[in-house]
Amino acid sequence: MPSNPMSRWQHHTSAIASGFFGDWLESRRNPLAVSLALLHSGTELDLAHPEIDNASGTLCISIHGLMELETVWQLPNTHGESYGSMLSSGIEGGVTDLVLRYNTGRPIYRNGQDLSEMLEELVSSWPVPVTRLILLGHSMGGLVIRGACHAGSTASHRWVGLLSDCVYIGAPHDGSWLAKGAHSMAGMLNERPRDYLKVIGEVIDLRSEGIRNLSRGEFLEQGGDEPPLLPDTRHYVICGLLARSRKHPVNVWFGDALVNESSAQGQEKSGWQLAGVATFPGVDHLRLAHHPDVANQLQEWLV
Amino acid sequence: MSVQNNQYKHGWWLGMADMLTQGVGHGVMKIERVHLAIADETFGILERVPVTQPWSRVARVSHHGISRLCYRSVSLAATGVGLAMGSDPKLLKR
Repeated sequence: MPSNPMSRWQHHTSAIASGFFGDWLESRRNPLAVSLALLHSGTELDLAHPEIDNASGTLCISIHGLMELETVWQLPNTHGESYGSMLSSGIEGGVTDLVLRYNTGRPIYRNGQDLSEMLEELVSSWPVPVTRLILLGHSMGGLVIRGACHAGSTASHRWVGLLSDCVYIGAPHDGSWLAKGAHSMAGMLNERPRDYLKVIGEVIDLRSEGIRNLSRGEFLEQGGDEPPLLPDTRHYVICGLLARSRKHPVNVWFGDALVNESSAQGQEKSGWQLAGVATFPGVDHLRLAHHPDVANQLQEWLV
Repeated sequence: MSVQNNQYKHGWWLGMADMLTQGVGHGVMKIERVHLAIADETFGILERVPVTQPWSRVARVSHHGISRLCYRSVSLAATGVGLAMGSDPKLLKR
């Protein structure tokens, strides 16, 4: 695929369409479905032969959320800086900043499996030996990381042993209130005797598998016991809150607008050992992916 | 590269058209159900009133018949356009 043959709005349209109907678009082989790619400085990498100037042994891979693109990571008022590139100055040998682009409407476990395969190929073909791997996941991206960790450890992939840090930024580990609401609303309307109410329920039900997975924070192919966090990796959680005052009722109800603080921290999960948790009141869900305060926090944790 | 780019852009527009025609085809059928279900509520009231009862049944049948014809024509046309584009091999080119 050419690196950037389309205009910005076309990329965003594809990302939004893929979020809503990505699994359906993929089944129709529709070119609107965003294809999986790893990018460096806006250029897609050839995984078998990655050509990168000054490749370093530390890789930081950022994984965006639902209906987003890799551009969500760009920090405002900088020359294309992102969390990954800002880490480079503080880590010995530098950091190669990579971003994933993927079809967010596909089931999360499938994106996780593909990411795992991609990382395995990447560490094998990287020009210098990979010594450290950092994964940053925003929103759905955090669940994709968990799916990839599960797939990678099940397949005994080499990259799992190189993974030092996972950062979950506004990831709905216990589900998103909006996705839960859509699920409940569709179920309720579908049970109504009036046909016009059923139609509304059916329209809500058209949402992709990726969105459905967000209602319960699912990242496995089938229900069942969720695997624990990888034991030899540090796991960090970052949450946002809409209002600046932590105890504001808006924060209790809506969290960062899409994910509640408790869900982002995985409070319903048992046995989680987190290396760090940080909450940023006044930073909404989208801005969590490119906020200077979050960048400073990541420097503190990862450098 | 520019030929490849043009093919990719062409494919993107065909993909957009495919999504829109599928959306119109299915969306129109849903609008038909909403329209007829809401109309049934009104006709149901008219049928309970003795003065309007004889005519409301006739009106309901003709209203539903004409509405179905219109909605299904649009849906059929959209599905036809979608099928015609689906037969274009460029649509399947990634």
